[in-house]
Amino acid sequence: MSTVKGEMIKGNEAIAEAAIRAGARFYAGYPITPSSEIMEYMSWRLKEVGGAFVQAESEIAGINMIIGSAACGVRSITASSGPGISLKQEGMTTLSDEELPAVVVNVVRYGNGIGTLLSAQCDYHRETRGGGNGDYRCIVLCPASVQEAADLTVEAFDLAEKYRMVSVLMTEGALGQMMEPCVLPEMQAPKRFEWGFDGKYTNKKIGIFDRDSMKEAVALNAKYNKVKETEQRWEAQHIEDADYVFVAYGMPGRATIGAVEQLRAEGHKVGYIRPITAWPFPEKAFEQVNPDVKGYISIEANATGQLVDDIALTVMRQGKKKGSDCSGGSCPAPVYCNPHVYGVPSTKAIMEDYAKVLSGEMKEVY
Amino acid sequence: MAANANTNTNTSVKTKVNIKPRKVPALIDRPMSFCPGCGHGIIIRLIAECLEELGQDDNVIFGIGVGCSSLLGGGLETDRLHCSHGRAGAVCTAIKRVNPDNVVISYQGDGDAYSIGIGETTSAAYRNERFTTFVVNNTNYGMTGGQMSNTTMPGQKTTTSPDGRDCTTTGMPLRFPELVASQFDAAAYVARGSVSTPANINKTKTYIKKALEAQLSGEGYSVVEILSSCPTNWGMTAPDAMKHLDQAVTPHFPLGEFKTRANEQREVK
Amino acid sequence: MAAYKEIIFAGSGGQGVLTVGLLMAEMALFKGLHATWIPQYGSAMRGGTANCTVKFSESYIYNPSQEEADLLLAMNEPSFQKFLPMVKEGGTIVINSDLVDPAKCTRTDVKLIAVPCSSMAKELGHMLGANIIMAGVVVKATGEFTEEEALNGMNQVFRKKGKEKYETLNSSALRAGFGFI
Repeated sequence: MSTVKGEMIKGNEAIAEAAIRAGARFYAGYPITPSSEIMEYMSWRLKEVGGAFVQAESEIAGINMIIGSAACGVRSITASSGPGISLKQEGMTTLSDEELPAVVVNVVRYGNGIGTLLSAQCDYHRETRGGGNGDYRCIVLCPASVQEAADLTVEAFDLAEKYRMVSVLMTEGALGQMMEPCVLPEMQAPKRFEWGFDGKYTNKKIGIFDRDSMKEAVALNAKYNKVKETEQRWEAQHIEDADYVFVAYGMPGRATIGAVEQLRAEGHKVGYIRPITAWPFPEKAFEQVNPDVKGYISIEANATGQLVDDIALTVMRQGKKKGSDCSGGSCPAPVYCNPHVYGVPSTKAIMEDYAKVLSGEMKEVY
Repeated sequence: MAANANTNTNTSVKTKVNIKPRKVPALIDRPMSFCPGCGHGIIIRLIAECLEELGQDDNVIFGIGVGCSSLLGGGLETDRLHCSHGRAGAVCTAIKRVNPDNVVISYQGDGDAYSIGIGETTSAAYRNERFTTFVVNNTNYGMTGGQMSNTTMPGQKTTTSPDGRDCTTTGMPLRFPELVASQFDAAAYVARGSVSTPANINKTKTYIKKALEAQLSGEGYSVVEILSSCPTNWGMTAPDAMKHLDQAVTPHFPLGEFKTRANEQREVK
Repeated sequence: MAAYKEIIFAGSGGQGVLTVGLLMAEMALFKGLHATWIPQYGSAMRGGTANCTVKFSESYIYNPSQEEADLLLAMNEPSFQKFLPMVKEGGTIVINSDLVDPAKCTRTDVKLIAVPCSSMAKELGHMLGANIIMAGVVVKATGEFTEEEALNGMNQVFRKKGKEKYETLNSSALRAGFGFI
């Protein structure tokens, strides 16, 4: 008998309910497909648990409301998609500046400008590099199933509060809209963090013109380095003896695992790394890879290839660690990029990508 | 201390026997770096006095706008968040929603509240959020060097309207309190004051107090706009700037209460 | 992966194809199988078309999106034309023959099942039950479920939604579909 557990639930609704169970008691946002179910769910559910919900007049107002509630020490969450998250960058850089924790869900859809409604991974660079003005990072978590979306929602809050920074749950249209069995997390009692405003000026503060930006920047960087060192998360298999290692996250990551299983069954020495944190990028996963690996293959849902840059940077760094240079014949392994633009690539398409790499038809990009 | 400057101006006035020694409210007892003759110092003092008199000076959170208001960030001894430009209306919405027992105040300039933040300011009023907005209207962007704002007077020269504001292409000065009073029926208290004279300052204080009382008793959104001098960017001496407020600015921005608390008579002018 | 199946449910808005798809997924889950349900969403759902893809399997489903369908349920003509090429060789197509002309099927490598589900629903006195009848046909066509398993799976879903008052009508609709082939 199968061990399938849980009930059928939509990815977006699983995130919303998981947030409630994690103790989130404030939501403010603006509707946008394919994320709106999160907001719709919160509109009635927060009322049930005694939280506050505001339908903001704009994405910008929504994220600024998150700043207000987070400043009071309340677990706060907002959700949107591509263009909406563009507008939210102002608030996300401010949250980072104030070192306020919050969870921002990006149910990614494809396209520039207003874009499309298609499921995609085109916001990788923006989410992993900070996105707004300044010099900050957000922890970026990338679920590949409804279950993982629910679990990472809880983790997103824990990490945001542990480091006093923003966690981005970078999911995708397809995952937000699909249903599959999921066991929802346990209900936690809501918390009020002691660093929040209480009106009594319990926590002292200085004015913006009195701040020491140099000192703050050094401290912030030290914090980010600690996150890089301790919070990398990934799933990997078959990489120790792999000739080729696929790297993919989210829905394409999940599809890639299926393709790798099939290729392995056919005798191909392939493995995969599925980043669960896109920032910090799971560099440590690459340390376990066969030193004689012939190449890395990214599978991603965008047009320009974004994840591939982080793979290449990591491969280059690892090559340097090993002391290899191209003169001795063991330069860092080539990196191939397979941007499928949008949607979730089929198993067949991923296997075709692999065949093109093997035949030499596809050239490495790094 | 700079915060005492306004108090000191009164000392030259003919001495009365029973002058009360005036104490600076604790929550603003720090140096602030507003320009000489600026109205901000008077206004923040009035707010602090009202909070003290209402017993709320240890129960208040400020959302501070960007601009000259930013200087408050270093001057207030209270919970305060320096909001992004124009967003105090949104930030305070959330603060009041999650901390309904605290007095929540957004303190903003006209550029912050009425130009870049017009969406947030209006929407907070529209939803009838239970906090209080104080807008210091000095008819220009002071901090950035005196550019034109949505309340710049017709013909007023600013660094972005060097030939004087041309209202045919830039719009007429915006009257926000009138907008709230006429369109948002649920709003609890709406007024406009001025810091031009002691009489106006005293009247403004009563407006501020009523706005805070409206919040304290959960009546709804309250807003007080305060006409304020900006001698630096107006290119005037401090006394001339105060005269200018009365003679040039006030005719376009009438003073008084536009919406009184439900259980009060409308102030007779 | 003996029980692996990919099914497309397509029709016009209001024909209940998303519900039938979800019923199918719930039946599979009720039987202890892995199941995924993924709809077409957004502006594509306005203007009258709706579709979803359901997969169920004994093992984990790595790719929930549309790949190669074993089975297509087409409730109207545009859905039939759109998804006809996406059915794999040897696959099955179930059509609502009250709205889709079976003669328009250009493929000979698939099995076509024509079900006058609207008329059948009328006869059953369950005007809104056409999609449930089709659920019965589809679940039978997968060859993976007994009538009891299908019935229990469906009724559990409606009970969870608090819609058990239609249980008798829905059960007879599902049976009618199940018994159609």
